[in-house]
Amino acid sequence: MSVTVEQIDAAAEAAARRRAAIRRYTRHPGFMIGAVGIVLLVLVALFAPWLAPHSPTRTDLMNSLAQPSATYPLGTDQFGRCVLSRLIHGAQVSLQVGFFVVLISLSAGTIIGAVAGYAGGWIERALVAVIDILLAFPSFLLALALVAARGNTLDSIILAVAIAYTPRVAAVMRSVVLTIRPRPFIEASRAIGLTPWKIVLRHVIPNALPPVIVVATVSAATAILAEAGLSFLGLGVQPPTPTWGNVISEGQTAITTNPLISLSAGLCIAFTVVVLNLLGDGLRDTLDPQMRRSTGKLL
Amino acid sequence: MVAYIARCAAQLLVALVGIVTVAFFLMRAIPGDPALYMLGDFATAEALATLRARLGLDLPVWQQYFVFLARAAQGDLGVSVVTGEPALAEIWAAVPPSAALAVAGMTVAVVAGVPLGIIAAVRQGSAVDVGVMLIALGGISFPVFWVGLVAILTFSHALGIFPALGATSEPGLLKGLHHLALPALVLGLSVAAYIARLTRSAMLEVLGQDHIRVARAMGVPERRIVWKLALRNALIPVLAVIGVTFAWSLGNAILVEAVFSRPGLGSTILKAILARDYQLVQAGVLVLAAAVVVLNTGLDLLYGAIDPRLRQR
Amino acid sequence: MTAAFELRGLTAAVPGEKGAVRLVEEVSLHVRAGETLAVVGESGSGKTVTFTSALGLLPKPGRVIAGEALLEGEDLLKLSPEALRRRRGARIGMVFQDPLTGLNPVFRVGEQIAEVLRAHLPISRREARERAVALLARVQIPDPARRVDDYPHQFSGGMRQRVLIAMAIALGPRVLIADEPTTALDVTVQAQVLDLLGDLRDAEGMAMVLITHDLGVVARQADRVAVMYAGRVVETGTVAEVFAAPRHPYTISLFRSIPDVEAPAGTTLAPIAGSPPDPARRPVGCAFAPRCFAVSDAAGCRSARPLLIGAGHEAACHRQGAAELAA
Repeated sequence: MSVTVEQIDAAAEAAARRRAAIRRYTRHPGFMIGAVGIVLLVLVALFAPWLAPHSPTRTDLMNSLAQPSATYPLGTDQFGRCVLSRLIHGAQVSLQVGFFVVLISLSAGTIIGAVAGYAGGWIERALVAVIDILLAFPSFLLALALVAARGNTLDSIILAVAIAYTPRVAAVMRSVVLTIRPRPFIEASRAIGLTPWKIVLRHVIPNALPPVIVVATVSAATAILAEAGLSFLGLGVQPPTPTWGNVISEGQTAITTNPLISLSAGLCIAFTVVVLNLLGDGLRDTLDPQMRRSTGKLL
Repeated sequence: MVAYIARCAAQLLVALVGIVTVAFFLMRAIPGDPALYMLGDFATAEALATLRARLGLDLPVWQQYFVFLARAAQGDLGVSVVTGEPALAEIWAAVPPSAALAVAGMTVAVVAGVPLGIIAAVRQGSAVDVGVMLIALGGISFPVFWVGLVAILTFSHALGIFPALGATSEPGLLKGLHHLALPALVLGLSVAAYIARLTRSAMLEVLGQDHIRVARAMGVPERRIVWKLALRNALIPVLAVIGVTFAWSLGNAILVEAVFSRPGLGSTILKAILARDYQLVQAGVLVLAAAVVVLNTGLDLLYGAIDPRLRQR
Repeated sequence: MTAAFELRGLTAAVPGEKGAVRLVEEVSLHVRAGETLAVVGESGSGKTVTFTSALGLLPKPGRVIAGEALLEGEDLLKLSPEALRRRRGARIGMVFQDPLTGLNPVFRVGEQIAEVLRAHLPISRREARERAVALLARVQIPDPARRVDDYPHQFSGGMRQRVLIAMAIALGPRVLIADEPTTALDVTVQAQVLDLLGDLRDAEGMAMVLITHDLGVVARQADRVAVMYAGRVVETGTVAEVFAAPRHPYTISLFRSIPDVEAPAGTTLAPIAGSPPDPARRPVGCAFAPRCFAVSDAAGCRSARPLLIGAGHEAACHRQGAAELAA
């Protein structure tokens, strides 16, 4: 088999393109900070039992509301529990909520949005009308009402937040599909007789994936904030299981004497959300400049 | 324009019926028997039957729906099970403090967010742009209740400028505003961050359009180009963002009310949720959604005033 | 007589991964009052960049790194941004390619014309409006007193281009640069707009630069022509000279690539093989060498940049006068 000069050139060009793509990511400071930060958080959550100096639920009533010391780097709360250990374990709840909410709301929202955007006609009008009406309900309020009705186990919180934020994802997905619909390959697939379902699965969804990834990171951030809010109102995962939200809430009673408890928990939430937003912004900038239009409005 | 206003009004009506419908089915979709919830596990069968009849729960669902719709049209959203008062009246009583917070918060958000977004866009890539965007990133990332706590620590405890309580029973507009200031700033700044980010991207898009290049080639001063010619174009997506963030800020307002122990819809609904007072929760959710829908209709009218192409269709 | 507008050695660049990428290089050309200079070339040859950079309109991070842009003897590139702004629109006007996107969709056309007038003149809103009506009449828009309050979407493409022309001539500029003003328009409308531009030039005694890739337009409208390739002027002269005896192989190829209605049947069309080089990777020698039918290593085509040579009718080619070119 002979290799022509053109083939060598083409291979070299493809390699150069790949290098350029990698460079686009590594040269984007926001993306790099976001990627490194999220990896760190996942590691902390996974290895929490080994990283935490104490059990997050072990009470040391002799040492309640202790100031930071060598034994308790961030001090203790009113039950004498190690704040640092509670924060390290709290990462597990936040990351689980972020991950599963995104998984559920994104699958549901993507399917609803893709079907609406692709089907057109009365199906689209009806779905859009329902999405629009659901968007009028403050999502956090919906999550609140659903949690109140279904109880505050981690599962029901994840489900409630996912349901409450699905309409937003569906709205974004529809606008993404609207930008894909007029592209020629859809027409071509229709011409060769693919069924609508196959077109949605094989062409619409894969092409909508870059914006979906961006939506996913930003939704994860929103979900983590929503869970923290529920916890803060006492409707989240119940103590003694530590979550960042309930650490803030419990620390509120001692906010003047031990402000570090609430402050450090808030910084954990903010760090996670900043990291996810940086990742989302970075992906949006690097994946495809054209998608800014379709995802910009609702994110 | 008259036809456009009529169309907006018709859409508003449809949306209101829509939210009543969604609220109805949402509450029915929640598992469990409301009558049992209200009376507790030891209720007698007769008591349950009486309450079901009173709530209309013995009718088929579609009949319940039309009864509910007809009553809602007359402003009857049921009765609070805890107090026995009409649910709408009870919710209505909580609206003024919440409306004050929402209006003050959105004012802070728009007044701070829109100009910051424009300045960041005009000076894209500069230190000013990076600074504004970093602050905005912080604003959307820090939990609003935590920002509230930090604000109380700083401005109430350390500096003593603003009270830690978000409301007062003492009379006087100035006193009220003094207590409102901190909650409004906290709520407003989180929304401002969001608005600034989107204003910036809307503005960047408009500034890249051909007609802006034409205006530059014609020697129109940069100040006029940014604040008049480009701004009016960018205002349409910015208004859309304000509509979206309003629903979101109402959710945040619940948390802000909790941090500042401020009375309002948020604390009323929260109390109702904890007391399993479903009629009251339903009425509260409906009022909030209606507020969002009404605001969005107002924004639609504004779009029509800004963009002549919308009026025509 | 000095030229109304003259470029001398204009070079504009954008920063690239390996140093500055020159978009246009050492462009020199001039146009006199009452005359039309056509600038032709493929898209990407630097026609538009040449004039936007001369007017200080090159989008960042692009910038002019050398040369002069003389408007009636005054170098625009040495002016402060504010002084340059006062010249733009007032003494030198520009009309762009796409009339559909060139007008601001959310302002009435009268307001947009008034905005230009009030950017340069201390006049009242009312006076600006009256002058806007007069200008619309000037560019032959019917019923101007009523149309002045219409929005752009209520106008057809040709009418919008007339509005843009009205804005460009609002302050009686000495020089009008028209960048492919008819490319986006229907064929029938194209001729009307070009005729309007010609009439305005004659009535006002303006110097006009007509950027185009349509050689037919050049033949009908222009007095002189400058051919651009890969950011440089490769041939310039009067339309009669250049059309009668093109000297640069690129110009010759251009003429061969267009269908000639008077050519005998069976004459084949010869498109130019290849595409213009990426500005970041222009060859060392003549930028046209890779596509040239007369390329010769002996003449230095691949090692040295050719200079514009000639009196009046100039061309930048190492092989000028070679036997292959005459054929």
